[in-house]
Amino acid sequence: MNRFVFTLFLGLFMAITSCVEIIDDITLKNDGSGTFKYTINLSSSKVKIKGILALDSLDGKKVPKLEDIKEKIALFKTKLSSKQGISNVNIDSDYEEFVFKFRCDFSSVTVLQSAIKEVVEDMANEKLTVADYQEWLSWDGQKLVRSIPEITLEKTKNLKQEEIDQLKLGSYTSISRFERLVDRFENTEAKLSSNKLNVMVKTGAYSLIQNPNLLENTIYLTPLKN
Amino acid sequence: MSRPKAHISSRPLQLTLIFCAFLAVRTSFSQRSEALIPKDASTVFSINNFSLLQKISIDDLVKYEFMEEVQQELFDGSTSGKTLKDSGIDFDQKLNVFYGKDDDFEVSGFTFGVKDKQKLFSVFDDFALVESPYEGVEYYTSYFNSLLIQGTSALLIRVEPSMESVDAVTDSIWFSRGNRNPFEQFDTYEEPENESEDEFLNELQNEVDAEESDPLDLEMLTGEDDLEQKNYYELRDSVQMELQASLMERVCNELLIRKINLVTFDNRFAEQLTHNSEAIFYLDNARSLQNAQGLWYFETMFPSLYQDIKELYSGNVMLGDLMLHENSVEFVMNARYGPELGSIYEEMNDARFDKQVLKYINKNNTAYFTYNIDMRQAYEQAYKVIMPILSDERNLRISTNVLTLELLNEFVDKDALFNTYKGSMFGTFGGIKKIKTTKIVFSYDEETFEYVEKEVDAEEDMPVFTIGFTTERSDIPEKVLKHLSRMTSRFQNKGNYWVYEDAILEAAPLYMINRNGLFIFTNDEDLVVNHADGYGEEALKGKEAKKCKKSGFMYGKIDWSTTIEKFPKDFFSEKQNQVLDAMRGKTGNMELTTSETTKEGTRFDLVYYFEGSYENSGKYLLDLLNSIYVMSK
Repeated sequence: MNRFVFTLFLGLFMAITSCVEIIDDITLKNDGSGTFKYTINLSSSKVKIKGILALDSLDGKKVPKLEDIKEKIALFKTKLSSKQGISNVNIDSDYEEFVFKFRCDFSSVTVLQSAIKEVVEDMANEKLTVADYQEWLSWDGQKLVRSIPEITLEKTKNLKQEEIDQLKLGSYTSISRFERLVDRFENTEAKLSSNKLNVMVKTGAYSLIQNPNLLENTIYLTPLKN
Repeated sequence: MSRPKAHISSRPLQLTLIFCAFLAVRTSFSQRSEALIPKDASTVFSINNFSLLQKISIDDLVKYEFMEEVQQELFDGSTSGKTLKDSGIDFDQKLNVFYGKDDDFEVSGFTFGVKDKQKLFSVFDDFALVESPYEGVEYYTSYFNSLLIQGTSALLIRVEPSMESVDAVTDSIWFSRGNRNPFEQFDTYEEPENESEDEFLNELQNEVDAEESDPLDLEMLTGEDDLEQKNYYELRDSVQMELQASLMERVCNELLIRKINLVTFDNRFAEQLTHNSEAIFYLDNARSLQNAQGLWYFETMFPSLYQDIKELYSGNVMLGDLMLHENSVEFVMNARYGPELGSIYEEMNDARFDKQVLKYINKNNTAYFTYNIDMRQAYEQAYKVIMPILSDERNLRISTNVLTLELLNEFVDKDALFNTYKGSMFGTFGGIKKIKTTKIVFSYDEETFEYVEKEVDAEEDMPVFTIGFTTERSDIPEKVLKHLSRMTSRFQNKGNYWVYEDAILEAAPLYMINRNGLFIFTNDEDLVVNHADGYGEEALKGKEAKKCKKSGFMYGKIDWSTTIEKFPKDFFSEKQNQVLDAMRGKTGNMELTTSETTKEGTRFDLVYYFEGSYENSGKYLLDLLNSIYVMSK
């Protein structure tokens, strides 16, 4: 997913890394199916984004036109919708505030990951390597293992120091929701909701670059009652 | 009593005269590097105080854009860890970098003094000695360039024929051999209409399959029947090589046999070379006009008009001096005009300074400029000079345009037009200010971690600009503003000023002040709300204000450290950013003043006053020269 985001908004991201807020929200049912939501909030930099979109290029890189972005988002939605095991794909794009909300249902996390991988490969016209796209979710019915795709961090290596400094204002929130109670989890920064069904890890985008393991978490659920 | 005295005093005089004569003879007869600059060079900069560069590493030097022609020669490890001092170059001679272009070819390179050939060829190690057709000249060549050494001076040169001339000669040979158009098979492509991506890809695949079974029509690219004959591209390569050799010979013959070089060809350049500044700059605008891509249409469609425009530009040359002082760097540029263009500039720049603008320049502005021109006078003079040229053109389109211009000249109320827009203006940069905006935030429910979005107030950085124009007819822009306010509620009259909501990037308001003989655009809310009639005590006053008034048609000042770092790069082109990048990290003030403009020219004086001292003056010099080169090329 992040690969898609970075491909789509590459030009913009390099310039407005400062205030990006990402919410990565997955709801997992006991049968392994679920809902994936991914929200990108760029509203803190909307003036800057509008300024950038008015340009042809920035720092030697072509700036995508708003129409191109809309077109790519629509194409992504169509292609992902056609994948088996993926349904109810919806992308809510607010070009006034620059808030983008992606949502889809999936039959399993494996299906979700391979569907996104295939669509991204298709749209980028290139094969993703293992390093580009290792699995960031795994579920065995008892525990969920989450991480961040390598590509997210690879891209940040290309950022200039001033851009990295600006990332201090950005945030990344990872939420995992379940149908049964959470027994325990390994990430010490994670929080459990009062109803004990949800786990959230929130970190600054800058901290995440400094320590890519910040969002990694293994969440163990209580056993299923027969 | 007087004779012995005269006799005694005449001896030192004689010795002095002999010594001077010796120096004169030595200077006249010794070969200097500038004598190897081809007359075809239209842009030259010469570094006089070459010794400043001794500490510069060659690897750093060749990274500059003005050295791009020799980069292939030097970026091969032969220069690693070496400075210019190790390169065998004679620092007592000037280093002259040149570039020129005309319809037929492009010439570039540099000339310099040679002190130690062995060391020189440890740097230029790709050059091989070839038989020289010129007496007393050693001739070396590499894959890209030629190096000629005459006495103690060297010329590194590259000559490239223009693509147009190569195409013209190639086509001429190709068709004279009875060949068909080599691109015929590519002319049949038609843009598909409303084709889906899949359909397009399928079609492409079918074409590839078809081509595999029916390979490319080789006869198109080769001579029809004779496959031994060169194909079009091979022929083109051969033509290019031949033209290059012939042009190189032409340039060298002119330089080394006929002894014609830029110094002998243009006495303005020769005079500029006598200056004692650290570096001099020469740009022949008349010849550089040919490089202007926008004029190719005129050149093709209206050749006689193009010739007239060229003549208008004749004599138009920029001569510059770069001087390094203890706490400043000064760049003096003399723009010399030909009589006709000069007469237009003279009239245009003969404008009275509008004191009102000073009220709106805050003394704390980090950058500002004033620009005084008289559009009415410039128009009248340009009409006088340009209309006869256009009228002579026997072309229907030009004649129609001439008639339109003549009618407009009769019917349009020029008083109203030029009193509304007189031409004088000012601009300021007030740094970065926070503007009020909104943003979306997500708040989480602790029970479920569900989140909802809400809009909250926020602030974003925005560069603050003000730009104002002198007007004597404030009623005319007022009419336009009133009309616009009737069209949209985003346009509002606020009494002392007008506001256009969300005009800038659909997020920030643009304000307009139409008072005191000025029409001002700004995004500075403080200016319009609190200082609609000017800054009062905070306005530019005293010495600084006097400088604006005294300068010719233009004055500008920038607090470099606070402006350049904050100035958004997005506002500038790639070239302009290269110049700014060279200046980033440097502190101090930069000031531009101009002289009165005469028919002959205008003098621009750009002084950069820096704080402390520069650690490496050579690097400074190169940064500045490269900036000038990038801008002028």
